[in-house]
Amino acid sequence: MKMIWAVIRPESAERVIKALDRAGVRGITRLHVTGQGKEMGITHGAVLYTEIPKEMLIIVVSDNDVAKTVKVIRREAKTGSKNTPSEGIVGDGKIFITYVEDSFAIRTAGKAG
Amino acid sequence: MKQIIAIIRDERVEDTKAALECIGVRGVTFLYVIDRGQQKGRVNAWELGGYLNRNLRMPVMNPQTTGESQDEGTEEGRFPLQPDTEFTFSFLPKRMLIIVACDEEVSRIIQVIVDANLTGCHGDGRIFICPIISAIRVRTGEQGNKALS
Repeated sequence: MKMIWAVIRPESAERVIKALDRAGVRGITRLHVTGQGKEMGITHGAVLYTEIPKEMLIIVVSDNDVAKTVKVIRREAKTGSKNTPSEGIVGDGKIFITYVEDSFAIRTAGKAG
Repeated sequence: MKQIIAIIRDERVEDTKAALECIGVRGVTFLYVIDRGQQKGRVNAWELGGYLNRNLRMPVMNPQTTGESQDEGTEEGRFPLQPDTEFTFSFLPKRMLIIVACDEEVSRIIQVIVDANLTGCHGDGRIFICPIISAIRVRTGEQGNKALS
């Protein structure tokens, strides 16, 4: 089992969630975060913004579904449309994958599931 | 060393906190998250009343009594709301707990969280166990299990 932490643009969150829904990924935890990437924020005019709002999605999937989930998130969170294909813009986000050794559902009194 | 990530109901946080303190677990991080599981945010009217009461500070009457207290000649537009009427939300507010503990304590902590949160209804939450390589205490620079005690 793997845990996928995806930090994406807030405006693309709804689109990513809808696409994950279609791909059969249902359990999603969502939280609002702020942060900066390796560019150390955005300079707009004379002002440097270092806390840029992002949306974090936490998804736990079985090992077989990891590639599919990552593909869906990458496809939907990337900026640029079909008409104007691009390499994406800085700030599209990151995806981290960690191990999950075990998972318990509280409702069924702790049996793995 | 293991990281325990638990997603639990909002209203059970205080109970869980007290239960964890009883077994000597003090270092807990709480986060406000919105979440959905296999039911895709489906709740019935009875649960919904609770959510609205807690999170929006909106007094919602018990749907069952509201339905019965109305007289027989209700207009067609005002049908009584049954407690098992289902509503679907895209996400529901939950609380996420993050605890880092040494390997021997993990099973005990899981048991305590399950006991404090078990209602038997959908939406009780999940617990995930992830491996952690190391922990460092910022104040002293201690590493590993020493940083946790």
